[in-house]
Amino acid sequence: MSVPLRHRDLLAPLWRVVVAFRLVSWVLAVAGWFRERDDYPGMVAPLAVLAAMGIWTGVVTVAHSRAAGRRTRMTLLDLGVTVLLLAATVTTQPEGAFGQGAPIVTSIWVAGPALAMALARGRGGGLAGALVVWAAVTFLRGYVGDREVFNLTLLVLVSVLLGYAATITRAAELALREAAAAQAASAERERLGRAVHDGVLQVLAAVRRRGVDPELTRLAAEQEVALRGLLTTGPEVAVGTADLGTALRLLATPDVEVAGPAEPVELPAQTTAELTAAVREALANTAEHAPGARSWVSLEPADDEVVVVVRDDGPGIPDGRLSAAVDEGHHGVRSSICGRLADLGGTADLHTGPGQGTEWELTIPRGTDR
Amino acid sequence: MTTVMVVDDHPMWREAVERDLVARGFEVVATAGDAGSAVRRAQAVRPDVVVMDLQLGETSGVDATRDVVAALPTTRVLVLSASAEQADVLEAVKAGASGYLVKSASADELADAVTRTAAGDAVFSAGLAGLLLGEYRRLQSGPDDGAPRLTERETEVLKLVSRGLSAKAIAERLVLSHRTVENHVQNTLRKLQLHNRVELTRYAIEHGLTDPDSA
Repeated sequence: MSVPLRHRDLLAPLWRVVVAFRLVSWVLAVAGWFRERDDYPGMVAPLAVLAAMGIWTGVVTVAHSRAAGRRTRMTLLDLGVTVLLLAATVTTQPEGAFGQGAPIVTSIWVAGPALAMALARGRGGGLAGALVVWAAVTFLRGYVGDREVFNLTLLVLVSVLLGYAATITRAAELALREAAAAQAASAERERLGRAVHDGVLQVLAAVRRRGVDPELTRLAAEQEVALRGLLTTGPEVAVGTADLGTALRLLATPDVEVAGPAEPVELPAQTTAELTAAVREALANTAEHAPGARSWVSLEPADDEVVVVVRDDGPGIPDGRLSAAVDEGHHGVRSSICGRLADLGGTADLHTGPGQGTEWELTIPRGTDR
Repeated sequence: MTTVMVVDDHPMWREAVERDLVARGFEVVATAGDAGSAVRRAQAVRPDVVVMDLQLGETSGVDATRDVVAALPTTRVLVLSASAEQADVLEAVKAGASGYLVKSASADELADAVTRTAAGDAVFSAGLAGLLLGEYRRLQSGPDDGAPRLTERETEVLKLVSRGLSAKAIAERLVLSHRTVENHVQNTLRKLQLHNRVELTRYAIEHGLTDPDSA
């Protein structure tokens, strides 16, 4: 499903609108000339300009129907040719006639490149295209009246809005692609999950339950928990965020129990990664200094902050032991846990004492965008 | 002797759990591999405790839990689940399961949990406390005015359970009796299950699934 998606341009309908505008505005220009043909001193010059406009309309119609013709380069070329054709209209009227309000044969057709630039470059492109077209028309006229201001406002508004729509559509296309990839990954994990659940996992569980050899039992238990963790898909969260609950549950082992809400605790992906790394560090610290101790990781979200408590039932850290470690140059605990939390704008508090185990309380503030 | 029924979709696991329980003096009166046969066999043998897996192939252990609890008021359900199925665990507990144990728990922990479940106590792990705290938080921020609330004390106690403290340690820390702590913990679960039953009944009546006169 992701393959056709990659080749589909969600902007294609908007490009068709721009092409339609070009065609319709050319027909309107021809009709406009026919209606006001008495206001032109000659027939040849305006018909030549209209014919050139018709040819160029055909060129952009073909160009915009393929991906290569939707690039910025093509729209700039379009803008250049359009301005040249606008300049060519001086041959259609006697000198000074435009200043008296004589009709310009290119009419509304010249707005086309501004719309194309809006699609190719977003709001900025639309605005730039619109201003260039308007400047060229104003230069030709030699004055700015109410009608010109009105036309400029409309042109700028339409171009900027179209550019905005193009930007939003591109973002939506990207999100759609990411979602499709995530869906494919999730389906794959589910497929693997069923196979592992019915096979390896059951054997590991059986080995552990039979308890033939203590070392084998322990290893089987560890691998069983790790495998189950890997199969955790977790609830769906927005693009760019990650569920802290799912991330923390991956840390569970026979000696580490993880508690938290069933609902996702959505945080920016980077924040989740940093916080999980800090918890892992605390657990590693316990495994190193209190082998055999059990640990608990508790995720406690609130409206304005997220608290993660990592506790163990080991012998605890004697007074002064932590600062002594820092003095000796072992910066592990302080830099990895306190530093990470400080970087996230949070705090890390350690409660410990001989015989009391250790309890890290990691707190980070939470934005309002949850 | 406490009678137990083991429900899991995988025979190897089922046999291992059965062997562990028999070795510790329980009588395993039935086993089942899917939700339908679990409910039928439970009604036939009326075990004291059902040890229930939540992933039963194509069928759901949550549904089986709800049906067993509804059909057999004296039978208690202990959920034995992989840590990955948190949302399912919460649903099963709301549907009436008396507690939950992770599948990685040792045979002794399982035996202890079955004994306590048979005695009518909810088996509270840190994980379950975390799930309940999350669920009460969700209910509180929801639109339902009738949703149950935790008292400050109950929140405090549940938080300490979720951090892995034993009832004894909590009692010491909060200067309470051991029994009071246990009561607080059990209450938090009962309130939620009661609310869930009321909700189900209301839903059934609203959707014409049951005759209001007989409800």
